Amino acid sequence: MPMKIGSDEFKNRVDKGINDSFMRSAVASAQDGIGQRRQAAADELGNWEEWRSHGEEIRQHVLAHLDYYLEQLSENVAKRGGHVFFAQTKEEATEYIREIVQKKQAKKIVKSKSMVTEEIHLNAVLENEGCKVVETDLGEYILQVDDHEPPSHIIAPALHKNKEQVQEVFTKKLGYTKSSKPEELAWHARKMLREEYLSADIGMTGCNFAVAETGSICLVTNEGNADLVTALPKTLITVMGMERIVPTFEEMEVLVSLLTRSAVGQKLTSYITVFTGPRAVMEVDGPEDFHLVILDNGRSNILGGEFQSILQCIRCAACVNACPVYRHVGGHSYGSIYSGPIGAVLSPLLGGYDDYKELPYASTLCGACTEVCPVKIPLHQLLHKHREVMVEKEGKAPITEKLAMKAFGFGAASPALYKIGSKIAPTAMNPFTVGDKISSGPGPLKAWTEIREFPAPNKERFRDWFKNRAKEEHV
Amino acid sequence: MMESAIQNRDRFLDQIANRLGRERMIAHLERPKWKYRPQEEVLKNATQDELVDVLKEQCKKIHTSICITELKHLPAALNDVVSAYGGDPIITWKDERFSRWGLDSLLKVEWASYEWNPAKEEENIKLAEKANIGITICEITLAESGTVVLFTDKNKGRTVSFLPAAYIALIPKSSLVPRITQAAVKMREIYHTTGQVPSCINFITGPSNSADIELKLVVGVHGPVKAHYIVINDL
Amino acid sequence: MKVSLFATCLVDLFQSSVGKATVELLEKLGCEIDFPESQICCGQPSYNSGFVKESKEAMKRMIDTFADADYVVSPSGSCVYMFHEYPYIFKNDPIWEQRAKALAEKTYELTQFIVDVLKVEDVGARFEGSVTYHTSCHMTRLLGVKKAPMILLNNVKGLSITELPYKEQCCGFGGTFSVKMAQISEQMVDEKVSHIEETKADYLIGADAGCLMNIGGRMERKGKPIKVLHIAEVLNSR
Repeated sequence: MPMKIGSDEFKNRVDKGINDSFMRSAVASAQDGIGQRRQAAADELGNWEEWRSHGEEIRQHVLAHLDYYLEQLSENVAKRGGHVFFAQTKEEATEYIREIVQKKQAKKIVKSKSMVTEEIHLNAVLENEGCKVVETDLGEYILQVDDHEPPSHIIAPALHKNKEQVQEVFTKKLGYTKSSKPEELAWHARKMLREEYLSADIGMTGCNFAVAETGSICLVTNEGNADLVTALPKTLITVMGMERIVPTFEEMEVLVSLLTRSAVGQKLTSYITVFTGPRAVMEVDGPEDFHLVILDNGRSNILGGEFQSILQCIRCAACVNACPVYRHVGGHSYGSIYSGPIGAVLSPLLGGYDDYKELPYASTLCGACTEVCPVKIPLHQLLHKHREVMVEKEGKAPITEKLAMKAFGFGAASPALYKIGSKIAPTAMNPFTVGDKISSGPGPLKAWTEIREFPAPNKERFRDWFKNRAKEEHV
Repeated sequence: MMESAIQNRDRFLDQIANRLGRERMIAHLERPKWKYRPQEEVLKNATQDELVDVLKEQCKKIHTSICITELKHLPAALNDVVSAYGGDPIITWKDERFSRWGLDSLLKVEWASYEWNPAKEEENIKLAEKANIGITICEITLAESGTVVLFTDKNKGRTVSFLPAAYIALIPKSSLVPRITQAAVKMREIYHTTGQVPSCINFITGPSNSADIELKLVVGVHGPVKAHYIVINDL
Repeated sequence: MKVSLFATCLVDLFQSSVGKATVELLEKLGCEIDFPESQICCGQPSYNSGFVKESKEAMKRMIDTFADADYVVSPSGSCVYMFHEYPYIFKNDPIWEQRAKALAEKTYELTQFIVDVLKVEDVGARFEGSVTYHTSCHMTRLLGVKKAPMILLNNVKGLSITELPYKEQCCGFGGTFSVKMAQISEQMVDEKVSHIEETKADYLIGADAGCLMNIGGRMERKGKPIKVLHIAEVLNSR
C-alpha cells in the first residue's frame, strides 16, 4: 500500500496512541491552540460561510473539468520550458524521477514538505539510488534524522515529539551539543540545512496549487524552505496530486487564503512562492531545468463516484485539528500518512479496505470535521458512505453484526416484532439487572458495561404509560 | 526520455474523462462567473492611509517592524534600520529606483554593498549568502496580511530576500492594496498584456518561522531572522 | 395545536420519564399530544453502521407512521436529525424522496419546537440547582439547534447554569461507536466527565438520551455524584 505506515493492527496502534501521554497532551494543546486561531481567523472575516461556499464552488468546478485544466496546465508549463510527466501509478512517477536523478548524476536532493511524495515513498526509491535525500521542513527534518519516523500530522509532522526527544536525536545523530530550547534546536537545523541547500543537485517539492492559465506552481510555507529548495538547486522536480489545480491566479488566492486561515489561523503564511517554469534568460537563481510530475495513483477512480468530493481537499488539516477521535489516538493510529477524518476517508480509497477497514468506524459521526472544512467536504457523510459500501458492496461486516443489524432492521420495521421484543426486555435482562442498572451485560452490551453502567429497561414502556393514561382520562 | 516536453498525457486525461462519464474536453472553457465573491469585501473602499494603518497593525502580528517616511528622509530611515541590524555587508537588487530615491551615497559609498549582477552568475548567490542584510523594493503590498510581493527578473534575484540574516523591504505607499485578491488580479493583467509572468513571484509576510517543535514559535528558521518594512510616502 | 410525539426507542424502552415529561410539558403549553403506536426507531443504529438497505425499511415505517401528523416533535436532537437526513437517504427515489421531505419539514426537536413554533421562551419552570448543559453534536452541528435549549434554560427559575468547557466536543457516544471502538470511546467520555466536574455542577442536562446514557453511565461507574437529567424533565419541573 502506498501510504501505509507500520504493520500493527489498528487496535494495537490505538492502544499505543492512548498510552502515549506526551503525544496526547501535545495533540490536545495543538488542537486547542490551532483550533482557536482557526476560529478567530474565520470569524474576523465576518462572512466565512461565503468563503467556504466560494472554495467549494471553485473546487467542484475544477474537478468537473479536470482533464481540461490539466491539459491547459501542461501546455503552459511546456511553453515556459518545463517538462511535464503524467504518472498514473506511483511506480511510473518514481521511475521517471529516478531517471532524472540518474541522468543528472545527482548525489544530493533537498525537499520541501510534500504529502504526495510520502504517498509514493519517493525518498526510499531515491536512497536506493544512492542519493542523500534531505527533508528541509523542520518537522520533517527531525523525523528524518530520527531514522525516518513517519509523520503524525499533515501540517505539524513531528507533533508527537517533545523537545527533549528532539534534543536527544540531534545529539546522537548530528553532533548537537546545546540545550533542548526550540530556538537553539532550530538554529542548529538551520546551519545544517544551509549547507545542504547550497550543495544540492536537485530540489524537490510538492504542490499546494498549480495554476492552469499560466503553468505556475504555488507553494505555501512558514519557514521559507520551499523558496530555497526552488531557488538554489539546478534541477527542480515538483510532484503534484492531479487534483491540486486551479484555473487562474484569482482562484489560487482564494484557496491560499482558505488554506492558511484553516491550517494555522494566519491571514497568509510567511512565504508563498509562485514560480513558473525554470529560470528565465539571464537569471541567476531558480532552476535551469524544471519537471512537473502529475500523479493519479488511484485518484481518478474516486472521480465520478460518490466519494468525488474528497478530491476537493486542500490539505489544511482543519478536520484533523477538530476531530475528537484524533485527539485521543494521535496520527500514527491511522496507519497511514493521511490521518484524522481526511485520512479516514482517503486512506481506504487510495489504499483499499483490507488495510483501512476500521478507519471509517473510528468516528462518532459528530460532524466536527464537516463543520470546519474550508471547502465544504461532507466528511462525516463520506465516513458513513464507506460503512455502507463495506457492508453492502464489499460484504465486510462481521457476521454477528450482520445478523444483529438485520434483526434490528426487521424489528424496527415491524411493530409486532418490536412489541414482543420490547415487552420481554425487562424479563430477559433480569439476570443482569441490579437495582435500576446493568453493570455487566451480555453480548454487545459487554463492551458497553466494561466502561459504563447501562440502564435497566423500563418496567413499563413509555408507550404503555401513554396508553394507560389515555384510558384513565377517558374513564 | 526527456525529448518530449509532455509525456503520457492522453492516456491519463482519457481516464479522467472516462471516469467523469464524458468525452475529453476540447473546446475552450470560459472562466466561470462565480456565485460567491467574499474576497472583494475585505477592506473595500479603504483609503491608502487606512491601508497603511492596517499594515502597521498587522506587522505587530508577524514579528516585523515598520516605519513610514517621506521620500527625502528615506536615506536616514534606512540608515537607522541597517545600523540596528548590525550594518553591512548588504546585498540589493539592481534597480534604478535605489539611485532615484537618493540612496547612492549609502549603497555605493558608505556601506559594503553589492548590487545583483547577472553577468557574475553564481557569485551573486555566494554574496547573498554572506550578506547580513538583503534589501528589495516591493511591487505590491498587501495590507490585510502584511505581505510584500516581489517579482523576480534577471536583475532581481530570488535569494536577495531569503539568504541574508535580515531583510528590509522598501514599500512605495502607492503599492498598497487591500489584500492578495488585488495582487492576483494584477498578476493576471500582467499575464494577459505581456503573455508572460515573472519566473518567480514571492509573497513574503515577515521573517521565516516555524512551530514544529512543541508548537513553540521560533522566528528565523531558513530565511531571514528579522524583517523590516519602510513605507515611503511617494505621492 | 396537534402534536405527534416521536418518543424514540431509547425513551420508550429505557427512559420513560423523559417521554412523560415531554408529554406533560407540551400539554402545559397547550398542545394536544398523540402517540402513533406504530412508531419504533428512526433507524439510526443500523444506518450508521452502514446497513442502509435494512434501515430503509425502518425509515419507511416511520414515514408512514407520521404521514398524517401536523407536527412531529421528539425529545432527541439526534433522532430528529436522522429524520432530516431521510430526504438525502431516499434521494432519487420516486416515491419516498418526496414523502421523506414532507416528514423532515414538519419534524422538530422539542426545544426547537417550543421556541421556534410555539414562540415560547419561558415555559414557567422552576428548578433549584446548579447545572451544566451538554450540547449534543447531532443536535447542534448537524440539525443546527444551538440557541433554543439555552433560551429555555436561562428562563428556568432557581437554575444556575455554568457553561461546560469544551462544550462542542463529542462525548464519545456515537451509537455503535461506543461499543465498537470502546477503547477510544472511553477516553472521550472520560475527558467529557472531567470537564463536567470542572463546572462543579450538581446536574448534567442534555437533550439526547444517547449522550446522557453514555456520560451518565460512565459517571455512575466512576462513582461521580453528578445527576443526569433530560432537558424535558427540567423544563417540566415546577
